[in-house]
Amino acid sequence: MNAASSRLATTILPPLRLRTPIWSDFKWLTSAISPVVLLLAWILATRAHWFSDRILVPPREVWSAFLELCASGELWDDLKISLLRLSSGFGLGALGGLVLGIILETSSLARSYLNPLFQVLRQVPTLALIPMFILLFGIGETLKIVIIVKSTLYPVALATMEGVRNIPEHYLEVGRAYRLGPWMSFKRILFPAAVPPILTGLRIALGRSWMVLVAIELLTADAGLGQTMETGRQMLRLDIVMVGVIVTGVIGFTLDRGLQFLERALLPWIYR
Amino acid sequence: MLRRLAGFFRGWVIPALLLGWWEHSSHRDAVHAYAFVPLEEILAAIRQLLGSGELLLNLEGSLMRASIGLSVGVAVGVLTGLAMAFSATARTLINPVFQSIRQVPLLGITPLVALWLGNGEQAKIFIIVLAAFYPMVLNTYEGLRSVDRRYGEVGYAYGLNRAQVLRRVLVPAALPSFFSGLQQAVPFAWIAAVAGELLFNVGAGLGNLMMVAETNAQMDVIIVCTGTIALLGIAMSQLVSLWSAYALRWRR
Repeated sequence: MNAASSRLATTILPPLRLRTPIWSDFKWLTSAISPVVLLLAWILATRAHWFSDRILVPPREVWSAFLELCASGELWDDLKISLLRLSSGFGLGALGGLVLGIILETSSLARSYLNPLFQVLRQVPTLALIPMFILLFGIGETLKIVIIVKSTLYPVALATMEGVRNIPEHYLEVGRAYRLGPWMSFKRILFPAAVPPILTGLRIALGRSWMVLVAIELLTADAGLGQTMETGRQMLRLDIVMVGVIVTGVIGFTLDRGLQFLERALLPWIYR
Repeated sequence: MLRRLAGFFRGWVIPALLLGWWEHSSHRDAVHAYAFVPLEEILAAIRQLLGSGELLLNLEGSLMRASIGLSVGVAVGVLTGLAMAFSATARTLINPVFQSIRQVPLLGITPLVALWLGNGEQAKIFIIVLAAFYPMVLNTYEGLRSVDRRYGEVGYAYGLNRAQVLRRVLVPAALPSFFSGLQQAVPFAWIAAVAGELLFNVGAGLGNLMMVAETNAQMDVIIVCTGTIALLGIAMSQLVSLWSAYALRWRR
């Protein structure tokens, strides 16, 4: 579009125009406005005692609860337990999902045996399985790992199937014609086609697994970040609960960013 | 024909084996019967739960809650998405807060919600509202933002006014994205409804029925509930798909 027509567009298209006010150049600054205002409102509301202490505690108290939990090592222990559960369940589930996805996509015999069961179990939401799994596995570590494996397995298997479908057959033929070795054909053909959807699947799976893990820690209340929040709630310690919520969010965000970073490192051509 | 038939039967082999194994373990001894309830007992549980009205009562509770939460979440979500798409000021103010709150896993905020809203109905509905809210905001905003400006230009060239361009051009163009949001929001809201009932065990709902059954070690009741939840989830997704196919039939 040339300059004249784009000027025309902005004059005749008021509702579609994405307005760019002067302050949009200071995006990093303006995007801080609402969080800062919220924080000030929070401080003001607690100073003026608009709400009872059970509803709202001052930010300062949340911060000191955070420092307290850090100093006592409680937060660190919780994180270690929760992340250990997450990584073992996620690792097993991702590995299983990869294998299952490859098998289902490459072997029609395996597909005819496994697919109906696979599709039916896929419809059962992981969270709805919690009571059943509690009866089957008790409330120990097995339960948490099994639940995370379940919530990881499906997104990864589906993404792997898509990734395998993505591999262009005729490229492989060209590769054979050029006598590419197995490593080169993996590196040049299989990897670039199959890995992007798989990484997306892993990201979805990791986010879901984290949510499911926090939920089950809240529910079964033995060790972990969720348990600390649940205990905080029972003792009406709003500050501890808020620390828990914030830490949970930060972990979720960091995990997601970590995989995004991996995507960028492995697939630089997509983000170029 | 024969090959397709063979393929169909192959699909039943593993489920049949699993069921057989299940049935076998359930009849072995008391310890096994505790977890692996015999199939006939599950059927009896369905009959009993339906007969006593227990299943329907709790189902109604869950569905009611899910629909209230879903409607509120979708409405607020669409409005927020609209505001963010049409006003740079709204976008600047809402987006940072929205993006940071969204990072907390949905069920991770339940303890906070419990302290603020108590253990009852409000807290459960709030979780469902949030579950529907997130995908609706994102999809409404993305849908409107990605509308090609030239479509609007054509509209103005034909002499349509703002309202008409909105109704005739922008809304239809953003509709597919709205429906893909709905396709995420509906199952998510349903799962959130059940999960909320598992976490806040007050009131009637399938989640509550399951938690009571868990305490009493009634595997049959749990299986019936889990099955019902899965079936209803499928039905809801299908309904949304049908609706979206109907609403977007002009695209074909």
